[in-house]
Amino acid sequence: MSYGKIGQPLGRVEGPAKVTGEAKYTADVLLPGMIWGKVLRSPLPHAKIVSIDTREAEQMPGILAVLTAKDLPDLLIGRRVYDMPVLAKDQVRFIGEKVVVVAAEDPDVAEDALAYIDVEYEDMPAVFDAHEAMKPEAPLLHPDYRSYAHAPEKFFSDIPNVHSHVTWELGDIEKGFALAKQVFEHTFNTPAVHQGYIEPHASVVAIDPDGRVNVWISNKMPVRARELLADVVEIPQERIVVHLAQIGADFGGKGSLMDAPLCYHLAKRTGRPVKMVMTYTEELMAGNPRHPTSVFLRTGVTEKGQIVARQAKVVFDSGAYAAFKPVPFVNIPGAKDAAGVYGTPHIRIDAYSVYTNCVPSGHFRAPGDLQVNFAVESSMDMIAEDLGLDRLEFRKQNLLKDGDWVPGGPQLEEVRVAETLAAAVKASSWNQPKSQPNRGLGLAVSHRLIGTGEANTQLTLKEDGTIQVLTPVPEVGTGAHTILQQIVAETLFLPLDQIRVETASDIFKTDSGSGASRVTYVGGQVVQQAAGELMKLILAVGAKGLGCAENEVVFEGGRVVHSDSDGSLSLAEVAKIGGDGKSALRVKKSLNLSEGPPVTTFTAQVVELEVDPETGQIKLLDVVTAHDVGTIINPLGHQGQIEGGLLQGVGFGLIEELRMEDGQVSTLNLGDYKLPNIRDIPPLTTVLVEEEVGPAPFHGKAIGESSITPTGAAIANAVYDAVGVRFHDLPITAEKVYWALRQQSGGKG
Amino acid sequence: MTYTIRLNVNGKEHTVEVPSRRLLIDCLRYDLGLTGTKEGCSVGVCGACTVLMDGKPISSCLALALFADGKEIVTVEGLAREDRLDRVQQAFIDYGGFQCGICTPGMVVTAKALLDENPDPSVDEIKEWMMGNLCRCTGYYKVIESIQGAARRKRQAGDSDEGL
Repeated sequence: MSYGKIGQPLGRVEGPAKVTGEAKYTADVLLPGMIWGKVLRSPLPHAKIVSIDTREAEQMPGILAVLTAKDLPDLLIGRRVYDMPVLAKDQVRFIGEKVVVVAAEDPDVAEDALAYIDVEYEDMPAVFDAHEAMKPEAPLLHPDYRSYAHAPEKFFSDIPNVHSHVTWELGDIEKGFALAKQVFEHTFNTPAVHQGYIEPHASVVAIDPDGRVNVWISNKMPVRARELLADVVEIPQERIVVHLAQIGADFGGKGSLMDAPLCYHLAKRTGRPVKMVMTYTEELMAGNPRHPTSVFLRTGVTEKGQIVARQAKVVFDSGAYAAFKPVPFVNIPGAKDAAGVYGTPHIRIDAYSVYTNCVPSGHFRAPGDLQVNFAVESSMDMIAEDLGLDRLEFRKQNLLKDGDWVPGGPQLEEVRVAETLAAAVKASSWNQPKSQPNRGLGLAVSHRLIGTGEANTQLTLKEDGTIQVLTPVPEVGTGAHTILQQIVAETLFLPLDQIRVETASDIFKTDSGSGASRVTYVGGQVVQQAAGELMKLILAVGAKGLGCAENEVVFEGGRVVHSDSDGSLSLAEVAKIGGDGKSALRVKKSLNLSEGPPVTTFTAQVVELEVDPETGQIKLLDVVTAHDVGTIINPLGHQGQIEGGLLQGVGFGLIEELRMEDGQVSTLNLGDYKLPNIRDIPPLTTVLVEEEVGPAPFHGKAIGESSITPTGAAIANAVYDAVGVRFHDLPITAEKVYWALRQQSGGKG
Repeated sequence: MTYTIRLNVNGKEHTVEVPSRRLLIDCLRYDLGLTGTKEGCSVGVCGACTVLMDGKPISSCLALALFADGKEIVTVEGLAREDRLDRVQQAFIDYGGFQCGICTPGMVVTAKALLDENPDPSVDEIKEWMMGNLCRCTGYYKVIESIQGAARRKRQAGDSDEGL
C-alpha cells in the first residue's frame, strides 16, 4: 500500500515549542502567589514513629505550613492496590519515605526548615532481600495487606511478604520434564535501575475560590491521576481539572501521583498555589525504579535438543510498597515471557512480588521483560554449549511458529521470528571467522505483545476548516501526537497542518493514558474511527448545504463536492453551516480493547564486543538490531524509539545499577548513577523486516518497548564468547570483568 | 544578604536583586521567568541547564547568579531570531534530535556553541563537545545527525546567509 501521510519521516508537531524553550513542563508552571513544598524523608528502613516535633520549624520566618500524617485523611493510595500513605503515619518502611511536608514562599527556606523537625523513631527489624523476606522468620511489612483496597484476592499468597503470586501455565509441566532427556537449572539476577528521565517528578496544585482544583503533574495518564487524586484527598473527581503539560520523558515511571496529594493539602491549608519538584537525589532514593529481580529457570530438553519443559520462578523485589504497580494483579507482566521466543509445550511460570524495606519499585519500559530475557537468552547459550550444539542452531530449532501459544497470550499468527533472527545474523559478522582474542559475539531474541487498554478522543471541525483532535494522552516524548495527526490526516485526505492535536483530560471519564506500547494501536484506532465518523457528518452537512442527497457528494481536494454540478463547499463553509441547531460537527469516541491481537513483534540483536583483559573494560564494536515491523507510520520517530531503547538496554547491560546497602541507595546523583552518554554509543545497524501485518492502523506494529529488551543478554553472551566468563548478574561492569578474569587465571588480584 | 546584579540575557539588560545563594538557573527561571532552561540533576552532570555565559557553555545549576553580574547570557529562548528558528533548532526538529524535549534547551545551546567555534565538526568532535549533555530518549544518534545536518546546511548556505 502507498499512503500520503503515513510513512513520512516527520518532525514533531510540538517541535518548535521544544527547541525554543516555549514548551511548558510541570516545573515550568509559574502562578501568582505560588509557594513551594519540600518533604522530610525517613532516614531509617523500618521503624515506628514515636513522635514528631514540628514546633521549631513552624515558627521559622517564611514557613507557611507544616503537615504530618495527622493533618491528612487517614487513607492509602497506589496505582492499583492502595497500600502507601501520603505521609508515613505510625511507621516508616523505607529510607526516603515521606514523613513531614513543609511549605514556604522560597524553596530554600522550606528546605532549611526540614532540619528543625524532630522525629523520634524506634527501629524495627528490616529485610532488604526478596528471598530473605519470603522466609518464615522475616519481619512482615504489611500484615494487613489483604484488607487494602484493590488488593487482588486471587493472587494472595501464604508466603511471608509476597503480596502477589501470579502463575502462567501451558501444557503440563510434570509431563514436560518426564519427556526431557536432560534438565538444566540456572539463576540470574538484575538490580534496580532508574528510568533516568531527565525531568524529575513535579506537581502543582492551585485551588480556585469556587473550589475547582487545578492540577499540573508529570503523569502520563492524567485521567487516571484525577481518579486517584479524588480518592486520596476525598473530593469528587468533577472538581479536579488536570492540565496537561509536556512530560520530560516517562519510560514507564511517570504513572503515579507522587507529590500531588501533598500539594493539594498544602494548597488547601495555605490558600496558595503550591509546587513541589523532586530533586534528582529524591528521584534516585524514592522514585519507582525497575524491580530488582531474580529469575530461576528449569529447562527440560530432549536428546535432539528440543525444549519440552520450562519452569520459571521469578522473584520481584517490590520494595516497601506495591503502590507503583498499575496492573490488576499487582505483579510484573514481563515474567510471562520466561519461555522466551521458543515454542515450549509445557510451561509453568510463577512470579512473586515481594515486600522488602527497599525503594518501592515500579514500571520501566518493558517491565520484567529485560530481567527475564537476560535469564532466558543467557541460559540458551549455556544449554547449547552443554549439549554440544551451536547456539544459533539450537535457537532456530526451537523458535515459535504460527499456531504456537505463548503464556498469558494468544495463539500466535504471522510469527516472523525466524526471519528476524536471520536478518540480524546476516547483518552482523556472525558467520565470519573469529578475528582476534578477547573479541566475542553474542545474540539474543525477544518478543513483545502489544498493549491493550482504553483510548479516547474528540474530533471537531472548527470554523476555520481545521480539525481539532483532542486527546487525553500527554506527549511523553514518544511522538504520539505526531502519529495521531498523521492518522487523522491520512483518514480524511487532508494536509497535516489542517489537523491540530490538542490535549484535554476533563472531558473524558476514564482513559489508560500512555504505556504498554498502546498509543498507536488503541489510540490510533480510536482517532481513525472518529475521523471516519466525522467525515460522514461532514458529507451529510455538506450535502444539505449544497441542496443535494448525501450519495451525490464526494470529498475531493479538501472540499465537499456535488458530483453532478460544479457546486462545492470548503470545510470552513461546512463548519459554518453546522449540524442540527448549528452545532459544531463533533465526534467523541472511546475504544476499550481488553484482548490483544494474535500478532506479536520480535527483536533479534547481535552484539560484537572486545574485552580489555587488563582493565575489564568492555568496548562494543558493533550492534545489530533487527525488528519485525508492520507499516511504519513515522520512520523518524520509529527509528528514534529503536535507538533510544537500545541505548537504555546497553546501560542495563553494562553500567546501570541503583546500588543499595541495607536499603540505603548509595548512587544518589547522576554522577554516581551513570547513564550512558554520547560517547558510550556503539556503532549501530538497524534492520527492519517489514510486512504489512500489524494490528495498529494501516497495519502498523508497536516499537517503543522492543529494542531495549535483548541487549543485556546479547552483551552477556558476547562477553562469554570473548573471554569465557559467564555472568549471572547485570550490569557487567569493568570491575566485575576485571575480578572475574583474575579469578579465571588463578591470580589473587 | 542580597545583592543587586546587572546581566544581559538574550540581548536584554536586567537588574535583579538576589540573595547570595541564588543559583543562576533559579534567577533565570523564577526571577526572569525564562523557564526554557531546565533543571535535571542539579549537580552539573546532565547538561539540561546549559546556558552560554559570554559565549561559553556553563551549567547554570552550578553557577551562582552573582557570577553572572556584568555578563552576557544566552539561553534557549535567545537562539531564534524573531520568528526564524536558528539552524541548530530547525535541524533538531528535522533530524529527530529530541523526543521528550527536556534536555533539548541544553542540547541546542551547547550545539550552537560548538558550531560557532567549529563549523564543521567530525563525529568524534561532536561527541567530545556534547558529552556533558545527557539525553535518555534518543540514544544520541539523532543528536549527532542533527548537529551534522545543521553544519551541512550552514556550509551549503554559504557565508552570506544569516539564520536559516
